[in-house]
Amino acid sequence: MAEEIRAELVANVWRVVARPGTAVHTGDTVVILESMKMEIPVLTETDGRLVRLAVNEGDVVREGDLIAVVE
Amino acid sequence: MTALAPTTRPASPELDPRDPVLRVGALLDPGTVVPLRPADSSGVYAARGRVDGTPVVVYCTDAGRMGGAMGTEGCRHIVDAIDTAVRERCPVLGLWHSGGARLAEGVEALHAVGQVFAAMVRASGRVPQISVVLGAAAGGAAYGPALTDVVVLAPAGRVFVTGPDVVRSVTGEHIDQEQLGGAEAHGRKSGVVHVVAASEADAFARARRLTGLLGRPGLFDPAAVRDEPELRALLPDRPQRAYDIRPVVCGVVDGGSFEELQPRWAPNLVTGLGRLGGRAVGVLANNPLRKGGCLDSLAAEKAARFVRMCDAFGVPLLVLVDVPGYLPGVDQEWGGVVRRGAKLLHAFGEAVVPRVTLVLRKSYGGAYIAMNARSLGATAVFAWPEAEVAVMGARAAVGVLHRRALAAAPEDEREALLARLVAEHERVAGGVGRALEIGVVDAVIEPRHTRRVVAEALAAAPAGRGHHGNIPL
Repeated sequence: MAEEIRAELVANVWRVVARPGTAVHTGDTVVILESMKMEIPVLTETDGRLVRLAVNEGDVVREGDLIAVVE
Repeated sequence: MTALAPTTRPASPELDPRDPVLRVGALLDPGTVVPLRPADSSGVYAARGRVDGTPVVVYCTDAGRMGGAMGTEGCRHIVDAIDTAVRERCPVLGLWHSGGARLAEGVEALHAVGQVFAAMVRASGRVPQISVVLGAAAGGAAYGPALTDVVVLAPAGRVFVTGPDVVRSVTGEHIDQEQLGGAEAHGRKSGVVHVVAASEADAFARARRLTGLLGRPGLFDPAAVRDEPELRALLPDRPQRAYDIRPVVCGVVDGGSFEELQPRWAPNLVTGLGRLGGRAVGVLANNPLRKGGCLDSLAAEKAARFVRMCDAFGVPLLVLVDVPGYLPGVDQEWGGVVRRGAKLLHAFGEAVVPRVTLVLRKSYGGAYIAMNARSLGATAVFAWPEAEVAVMGARAAVGVLHRRALAAAPEDEREALLARLVAEHERVAGGVGRALEIGVVDAVIEPRHTRRVVAEALAAAPAGRGHHGNIPL
């Protein structure tokens, strides 16, 4: 089953850490957002493969925007 | 199982796993179950028994009889069970698997279900009420658990007011029972459920742990509290880096004792029960990993209800603070963050239970007040050495205070001016110096002494217990 990772708040995409197509494990950092003057890692909640990365560094994401898909 | 088990059903090696006698037997200490009355056709089974030695009352709807539907007689048994628990001042647990009011009994059944609700409200805040949803709990059977203090959901548990068929016929939405009212719906989206269990046995185990935490609080033994040298190492070195607060919470309370409530709903604020020096405590903590740890509408509501539950049952509170502020946004404002945030201010302001605040890293603005500040009546407020208490972060404050000077500065000098002003601001207003001077922070403590200092502060405060119900905020 696919897990869609979505932004929880308005933020800048500060770092993209994971690479599409690679295996990820629960708790791995996918991207690091910058918001509220903090660096907030976005973690996976499942094991699988990162099949899609929907953001680039420097993008602005809003609450609910898709960041990545893990299958 | 008990000698007084219902005799209307033949004992068979293939007992219905939904049999209420089996379920109640699986929940309670072996050999302690005593039915409140002989078996009948009401569809409700009620009993006294024990959970790790603590006396409790249990009622259970019988899914094998008309899908557990609630009629006049069954509802009367539930009311009796709840009233018995209040009289005997013991926790009451409800096991739910019911389609709601018995259609055949018409308005009489509705009246009876309403009487169950009224009994729950009478008991609210007086004895802990814990619900375990084992199957479908629809209509009246959905609001029953929702009126109690804690709702545990087993994998087959479903909670909804109207089922998929009615939803489809009225709104045209196609959805199955699990999607509509299962673990994902209520554990993550709605917050109706406090604990999502991995199995029916796990649901019983979690309900038993929560019964112990709320029903057998125990005594503080500060002498038995060991230092935890690794606590500070759980925070990142970079102050702007977010981290998961939950290992810190687990490190502060007694090992393995933390039972988180509503972990996936409003996860930017962690709530849960645990023990510290043997005594049950309620813990609230901002979680920087989620939404930066900001307070928002949902987090404030989640926290407010938790504070009021702990206050009603005399469970002392520990508040771990690392909060950048309230979450800004149009959605938040229009969603009533002012109205809902006010619930948290009210909950702390009214709480008489001992409540200690610890600022780990930062505490800014309105969120500083809402996280059990001295002004709201905190028993004690402590801070770790690198903590900062302020209206806002230094950089943001300088941006406001020196906006004109910054705008007037030549562009190539602006960054240097900003850095100088930030350094100046941090020297004057940074850290917790001013907060210590005016007495809104009592002391800066070494992280490794956290457990001892907090346990001593909670133990030294007069035990209090709020006289109010636990309204589902």
